[in-house]
Amino acid sequence: MSLALALGHATKVALLALLAGVVLRGKLGQCWSFVVYVVAILVSNVLQSVWPAQFLTPSFWLVKQRTYDVLKMAIALELAWRVFAAFPGAWQRARAVLATVLGLSTVVIIAALRTASYSNVFDWQPKITTGAVWLLTATALVVVHYEIPIRDWQRAIMLGFAPYLLFYVTLMGLLKRHGWGFVSQFGTLDALGYGVLLLFWNYAVWRPEPSVALPPAVGGGASAGPRAQPMKEAVDAHA
Amino acid sequence: MPMLELTLCTVGCAALCYTLGRYNRAATIARWHFILNLPARRALAALRSQMELDAALARQALDAADRALQTGRTKEAIDVLRAALGVLEDASADRLTRLRGMRVYSRMVRAIQPLPPPTGAVYRLRRLRVLGSVTGFGYRLLVGGAERFRLWLTMLGFGVKIVLHGARNSTAAAAQAPRARRPWRQFEDGLSDFETLDASHLTAFEALSASLAAIDSSRRVRVWDSIVNP
Repeated sequence: MSLALALGHATKVALLALLAGVVLRGKLGQCWSFVVYVVAILVSNVLQSVWPAQFLTPSFWLVKQRTYDVLKMAIALELAWRVFAAFPGAWQRARAVLATVLGLSTVVIIAALRTASYSNVFDWQPKITTGAVWLLTATALVVVHYEIPIRDWQRAIMLGFAPYLLFYVTLMGLLKRHGWGFVSQFGTLDALGYGVLLLFWNYAVWRPEPSVALPPAVGGGASAGPRAQPMKEAVDAHA
Repeated sequence: MPMLELTLCTVGCAALCYTLGRYNRAATIARWHFILNLPARRALAALRSQMELDAALARQALDAADRALQTGRTKEAIDVLRAALGVLEDASADRLTRLRGMRVYSRMVRAIQPLPPPTGAVYRLRRLRVLGSVTGFGYRLLVGGAERFRLWLTMLGFGVKIVLHGARNSTAAAAQAPRARRPWRQFEDGLSDFETLDASHLTAFEALSASLAAIDSSRRVRVWDSIVNP
């Protein structure tokens, strides 16, 4: 068995474990587009392994890559929407920030896609990937600035994606520098990097989320509910 | 190499990993819980008592040091002055921590009750008068209530540090020349300014508490529900 095939099978197993974790740990609703993304990767991986003659082709690669790109953007936007939905003030600001990033990315991507083909993939693909990274980064910055609570799984999706996408852009740069002779190493390195990402996501999805135990005093009004802890203690303990 | 994309990606990735890597969900939820359950009046009364106690302790120590100096017990006077400085140091650490907390909480509410523009005229130390005047000018240039509030907090933080720095210098100068009146007067001025800063601190805390309490009960429940069961 070749290394590429072994990595392909390992990826399938890791993707299946990830899907099982998302379902069994009840994390489906935390980001539906992520589930669609994982299923899309799995389907494309299976197709390429079982029918390489039909699916291990430049045209299929372009189709699947565009699908992944759209889904990555969808993940970033859905995460932002889910995280900020209950916080109108922060959502207002987040919308402005995300619209700016999305607008800029769209302009750059449209310009890049005009001449996009498989042969110059290293020219346009990094632009799309950079747009996805910045959508995630903008969400993360607004989350931290406004102290918005996000689930561990949502955080793990973002924390996993960003380094992998950086790695991917770096590989694209190397492909451009070394030419198509580098493509097999590119494939192997990309599969290894993606494997690390899947391991991280599997660890995050299977790990039990720590429960939050606080007195249920919300709703009693400012003077009726027991005080959780003085501001100083809250800041001292957690700053 | 697509250097621009690589650079942008690296910056974005570093920013994301840094911010989310430091993110603490338990702390964030604790802060929201604090906000949504804050009994404003009780918290305000407790803070006022604590500030009065700090000021009384520091002032008492300064008076005792002064009395010891008048009766010729120089070493004892300096020791008690150092005790007064210790009270100020502890109180300053407490104020700075709370100011940091208030800055965080101020981002979690939609609107903040407005505060009056700061002024330098109420302070005795020259550096504080300058700070108050500059902040007052900046305050008028800003439009948003939250930005103005945070400018207030920044001024209070700098103010506390200026007073503490001055008090340390005065104590060191008094230890070298106990009979010189200037260091003692400067310490006294600093203490007075610290009380003035405390009054502003209390006003800011009151404004923040009122803004937090303004979150209505149904929204309080909705927000909390979305935090713990999104």
